[in-house]
Amino acid sequence: MSEHETTASTVRYGMVIDLDKCTGCMACSVACQQENNVSYQVDESNKLRSITWMKVFFLENGKPYPDYRFTYLPRPCQHCNAAHDSPCTFVCPVNATKRDEQTGIVSQIYPRCIGCRYCVAACPYHARYFNWWDPKWPQPMEAMLSPEVSVRMRGVVEKCTFCHHRLNRARALAYLAGEELSKVTYVPACAEACPTKAIAFGNLLDTQSEVARLARDSRAFRLLEKLQTEPKVTYLSKHQWVHRLGDQGLSA
Amino acid sequence: MQFAAGAVGGALFTPMPWKLAEDTAIWSQNWSWRPSPEDGEITSVATTCQLCAGGCGITARLVDRQRAIMLQGNPNHSINDGGICPLGASGVQFLYAPYRIPQPLKQTGKRGDPTGLKPISWDEALSALDAKLTELRTSGNPHRVAAITGQSENSMHRLWQQFSTAYGSPNLFTMPSPADSQKLAASLVFGRQAPLGFALEQANYVLSFGAHLIEGWGAPGRMQVTYGRWRDEKPGSAKTRIVQIEPRCSVTAANADEWIAINPGTEAAMALGIAHVLIRDLLYDADFVSNHAFGFDDWQDAAGKTRQGFKSFVLANYPPEKVTELTGVASEKIKELATEFARQKRAVAVWGSGNGAGPNNLYDDLVFLALNALTGNLGKSAMLGLTPEVPLGALPAPTMDGIAQRGLAQQRLDLAPKPNWPLPGNGVHAFLEAIGTNPAYPIDLLLIHEANPAYTLPGNQIYYSAQEKIGLVVSFSSYLDETALLADLILPNHSALERLDDVCGLPGVPYAYYAIASPILPPQRNTRHTGEVLLGAAQGIGGSVAASLPWKKYDDYLQERVQGLAASGQGAIAEYREIEPWRLQPGDSPELFYRRPPTEGNSAEQKTPESLQKTRTVQAYWKKLTGGMYWYDAPVNVLKNLATPSGRYEFALQNLQGKGMAADEDRLYLPHYHPLAPSGDEKDYPLLLISYRMLSLSDQFLANPPFMTKTLSDDLLQGQDLFLALHPQTARAQGFSAGDRAQLKTPQGEVAVRIHVSQGARPGALFIVQGLGHTAYDEYIQNKGVNANEIIEVQMDPLTGLATTWATRAQLRRA
Repeated sequence: MSEHETTASTVRYGMVIDLDKCTGCMACSVACQQENNVSYQVDESNKLRSITWMKVFFLENGKPYPDYRFTYLPRPCQHCNAAHDSPCTFVCPVNATKRDEQTGIVSQIYPRCIGCRYCVAACPYHARYFNWWDPKWPQPMEAMLSPEVSVRMRGVVEKCTFCHHRLNRARALAYLAGEELSKVTYVPACAEACPTKAIAFGNLLDTQSEVARLARDSRAFRLLEKLQTEPKVTYLSKHQWVHRLGDQGLSA
Repeated sequence: MQFAAGAVGGALFTPMPWKLAEDTAIWSQNWSWRPSPEDGEITSVATTCQLCAGGCGITARLVDRQRAIMLQGNPNHSINDGGICPLGASGVQFLYAPYRIPQPLKQTGKRGDPTGLKPISWDEALSALDAKLTELRTSGNPHRVAAITGQSENSMHRLWQQFSTAYGSPNLFTMPSPADSQKLAASLVFGRQAPLGFALEQANYVLSFGAHLIEGWGAPGRMQVTYGRWRDEKPGSAKTRIVQIEPRCSVTAANADEWIAINPGTEAAMALGIAHVLIRDLLYDADFVSNHAFGFDDWQDAAGKTRQGFKSFVLANYPPEKVTELTGVASEKIKELATEFARQKRAVAVWGSGNGAGPNNLYDDLVFLALNALTGNLGKSAMLGLTPEVPLGALPAPTMDGIAQRGLAQQRLDLAPKPNWPLPGNGVHAFLEAIGTNPAYPIDLLLIHEANPAYTLPGNQIYYSAQEKIGLVVSFSSYLDETALLADLILPNHSALERLDDVCGLPGVPYAYYAIASPILPPQRNTRHTGEVLLGAAQGIGGSVAASLPWKKYDDYLQERVQGLAASGQGAIAEYREIEPWRLQPGDSPELFYRRPPTEGNSAEQKTPESLQKTRTVQAYWKKLTGGMYWYDAPVNVLKNLATPSGRYEFALQNLQGKGMAADEDRLYLPHYHPLAPSGDEKDYPLLLISYRMLSLSDQFLANPPFMTKTLSDDLLQGQDLFLALHPQTARAQGFSAGDRAQLKTPQGEVAVRIHVSQGARPGALFIVQGLGHTAYDEYIQNKGVNANEIIEVQMDPLTGLATTWATRAQLRRA
């Protein structure tokens, strides 16, 4: 299927993150790194060079002490659902990144990526990361690398995949059990790890699912809505100031 | 000509450049040095996490049962309910850390020289240890052996106790914890020494005096899960309201329903202000006070002297106006909180001073206990209780030969020649300080187990001074940490995921809990379980010491403990995730909420006491516990089990009588506001330095792993620079802008920092994070930032001699 066609798929995997439950513990970020063989450097303080598929942002309400408040906002790839193309898939010259219209997941095909970083520039959420160097692990640590996720090399872009390797595993098990593939459910590493259950994940098109129900909540908002990227990650917050920051303060 | 033109024209429309680009990408990406993890069968094994005392149930994902690739929360374990904290999620990074000690090491050069640490065999290492242990016994000096263990309350600690007693040394300590002061406070008000538990899952109102509930307080897994449930919208029940009282906008404060910004160190005064309103306006639980409490009214001491009771003391000394002066909180707010707190069905007050990792000022503990008692949180509503003891198999009474008896007759070193404090406890700080200054007797052998005091002790210089005076220092650490680097001999323990161990009780949890951590993989290095080393050492010494530790292997010892648990007939093992021990009230039987939900072909299972009894075989227990399930039992009604002189909850602390209290004032026998002043002149040190912890930065035994270091923001750590948080007004007044370099000086020392400006910081105070400034391990964590423990000051509690921290006087100078 070429990316110019939209299909009548019944599955659109998405996420809802409840910021009122998030405590900024970083379990999601760490679980993601462990699950997906994300590399790390000796010095991670240059955040422009730090690979964080799940990055936890820090938002402040701008008020003085003691009215000051802050919240954390975990940001995975938003798997933008804009018609035909996400901002990143639209610009890739070699089709190294595509949105799968059966599931809505935007994936990265590492061997095809030529490292032009057009997609990194195009993503308004800064959710894409380029491997400027070869990822290097201290030798004993190589034992912890998972065989279920490709280990990347320098010169390619990587990002959150909604743990699609877990989806494939779930589908393989469903196939072997003779079950309906479109009814497969799975959970990405971040949602599974979250100890406050702030991250919900599932099929947005299944109106009975928890994700779909939460996405319709009165506290719901999405990041940079005005850009019409149609992100499939929705956030919940009871604070107006958080909603306003979600659109860079541009919305009323 | 046309042919050539056609060829050129054809070349312009060829897809070759794009195909070549794609192919080049593929060819150039398969470098040989890119690790290619080998595929294999993926299996999962359940165990209990040991990376902190929180006892979460975890599963480890293995490839071919040979290497671990992930730790996840065990979805069948209802305490952490499938979730995991960041330390647990990075657990595999400790198993494969480059700084793991691969085999025993001996310091052949000068102590502290990393190049002098040479590998030796286990035989040689154990001989060296045995020789020293035997030598000190034969010379009649068993008391000159000391041990510090990072494991308290569990079977390993119990083994250390057994060994120390049989060997003949009173000098056994654990690393500092809030339980150290809680136990002593409990011994005064309840007559029983046990850590405190709070029924937070039941609470609909949480009044937190600086307890960092979602940043590592108590059992972190349980707290995160409970917080998530507090924020759930459940039809028919009101959401839990959290009121956080502390000077800084911490994560807990930012997420609370109300944050009350208070003067640092005045939380107990605030609690007494609230108590004043409760008493004055008759909002306290009168039934509790009349029937279960002593010392609320004026009382008579053992000598017959009439002393002031809690009621008149609080009414006289803590009216709202006075408390406003101390705390900076408006009197209307104090009254509002008191009324709100008293009105709730299930409100509880929690607390945690300093950075929450160590003991509290005892009078503070007593004040907050009193506040809970006043509102009837003990007994019936059981919002607060004591962590129940787990009925594990008792150890045989240790045999003490003449050497041991003479050794145990010696005063513990922190209390020698005689105790300076009326109510001593786990005096590890005072112990180390004594060695370094003027000890009553020397310590010739120090054993350090699952602890890194050279780094984690507040005021860590005392460790450096102490070890200089100790003949032989032996570390059992699995990692080349600061303390191990200073040791003479290292006998590395298996690391957390390779080791059989157990967890007895969870910090801050009122119901009984027991879990076993079983190894997920065989030991990856040439290490030995420290329990085995102790058992072997006991056999090597022989005689009564060997007789007191009769187990051949640590497994045998632990199985005997579990045998006792199975035989006790108490509690149950949580076989299903639907089991919720926190719903049990004191006196409930464990099968009350023991329901397996219906599955295809089976109806919902409800155990009866008889069917439950059938499952209590030691084989079944061992299998299930080592399989990652936990054992639980109902909380205990603390009022049914009092052992105070009055047989009641004591507002007036009769157990302090005759303990050599410094002065004879009435108020010393009552919970009161008793701040411990930091040293230094306010003129020289105009600011207050307060340290804090983050759940995403490990500051205890384990060094922060690389995955977690990555999550630290660049306004906290940049390169090697640690940023201190201060209010913009304070920064301006001190002459600093955001990002500036500064020298931070306290009476304890001086470090280089950078300035981060934040409206969350209280004006006049500086906030420093714990967990950075390591000098050991490897380049991923070494030399980043500063160790707050180097510059924060410890105030010794006058009642207990425990090392408390809450603030240090500080100054900032231009760098």
